Amino acid sequence: MRLFSTSIFRSEHMENARIETIKITQRSSRVADFLSGNKVLGLFSVLIGLTAWEMTASQFHKMVLPPPSDVLARFFDTDFLSTLMPSLANSLIAFAVGFGLALLVAIPLGIVLGRSQLLYRMFDPLISAIYAIPPVAFVPFLIIWFGLFFEGRVALIFMMCVFDILVVIVAGARDVSSKLVDVGRSFGASRSQILRLVVFPAISPFLIASLRVGSARAINGMITAELFFAAVNLGMVMKRSAQAFDTASAMAVVVTICIVGLLAQTAIHRLEDHVLRWQPRRST
Amino acid sequence: MTRLRRMSLPLVGFAMFLLIWEVTGQSLGNALLAPPSSVAHTYVDLLLEGAMLAELFTSLRQMMIGFLLACFIGMPIGVAMGRSRVSDAMFRPWVSMFVVTSTAALIPVLILLLGTGLALRSSVVFLAAVWYIILTTYNGAKGISPSLIATARSFSASRGQIFWKIILPAIYPYLITGARIGLVHAIRAMVMAEMFVIVGYGGLINRTGLDVDTSALLSLLLTLMIVSLLANWTLFQAGRLLAPWYEQRGS
Repeated sequence: MRLFSTSIFRSEHMENARIETIKITQRSSRVADFLSGNKVLGLFSVLIGLTAWEMTASQFHKMVLPPPSDVLARFFDTDFLSTLMPSLANSLIAFAVGFGLALLVAIPLGIVLGRSQLLYRMFDPLISAIYAIPPVAFVPFLIIWFGLFFEGRVALIFMMCVFDILVVIVAGARDVSSKLVDVGRSFGASRSQILRLVVFPAISPFLIASLRVGSARAINGMITAELFFAAVNLGMVMKRSAQAFDTASAMAVVVTICIVGLLAQTAIHRLEDHVLRWQPRRST
Repeated sequence: MTRLRRMSLPLVGFAMFLLIWEVTGQSLGNALLAPPSSVAHTYVDLLLEGAMLAELFTSLRQMMIGFLLACFIGMPIGVAMGRSRVSDAMFRPWVSMFVVTSTAALIPVLILLLGTGLALRSSVVFLAAVWYIILTTYNGAKGISPSLIATARSFSASRGQIFWKIILPAIYPYLITGARIGLVHAIRAMVMAEMFVIVGYGGLINRTGLDVDTSALLSLLLTLMIVSLLANWTLFQAGRLLAPWYEQRGS
């Protein structure tokens, strides 16, 4: 998933763009493989981990380290659920807006940058340079521009995922086989036809990959924003629990976020199976 | 494209960016967006004053604790997962769970467990970096050509020999890449944790954010950018120097 965050000096890889992009597509099915392993042993391992945690927790005070059973009990506690669920819904609204905006900006921009050699050479190093700045560091700046509330949170979510999406789309647009484009052109396809009928289908694996990478980053941004701007929604539930030394509730929020993340990945995996049926899985 | 043109195009890109920034900055004023000219001025001041770099080095030194721990623990786990089905199945659910859980969400819980000191920051950095290091090493170890291992076996190499002479050299580039990815995440996590409890470089960013003038804030971001690029570049070069026979891959 982090494939892209490293290539800070991507100009070094320019010649290897082709190899790199093949790896991306392989990688996507690798991650898919990764999610569906040997389930029984995995379950066993989780059970061992939870038992170990439960046993360790019995040595400590509940405030310091609550046992997993306490955390689980939070999900059956109606009082807690009645604050958790609306908060989660509100959080997801900010997530959807920020992630949606990032997709709207990054996909067209990525295609343009990837399809034009000139623009790519001009702006790729710049993008890598800005990408190198940890997005959280922009928080004070975003507060000045967008305030402490909804707009600020959306801005952080946007900042956290837009570059990750952009980099994947650029790699995809550069990967489109020039043979296909040439064939289209020699049959007299217009620019928009080439874009619609050749480029778009060719980059669809990358679109899916960008959804996967971007959504993980955006969920990350969602909770980061709620903790770093004015505390609201899930961040608020978390901060309140922490202030009340109710560690179990704080952990329940973490578990909720983890579940949201896993659900998003599974949903995108399903989408991938559906959209990319025509694509042979390369690594399995 | 000629070599000269190829080299100069990125500069044109940067120049355009700086120009647009300068114009927007001039019209919006320093309170909203300091233009590059005033950032450059402030930057020199901050460098001469020394507090910025002092905070930065302290933070980086502390970050290394979490990062090195993540390497020492993550790399063996990654290799084990790649080479053994049982450990793969055992560790897999944990890795896939933690890799989607954002580090920011863990900070409040970790504060309750560990307080706000060095232990907190180290563990945040550790938790941010270790999963990516594991995943990269895993992909490297998983991808070793079975025929290499079969050959070694048919020449009756012992398990230890197979590990030292085949597996380790084969995953070498992945270890470096894993360290690079981990370091990027470690720097992000360091800033995040420090901004949360307002200490070190992250704390400095937070405090500077309260200033009326944004030029100091932008200077701090600039330094972070340089550090992150330099760290990445150093590891990349180290990899090339130590194992020149490999193009780095697995990123």
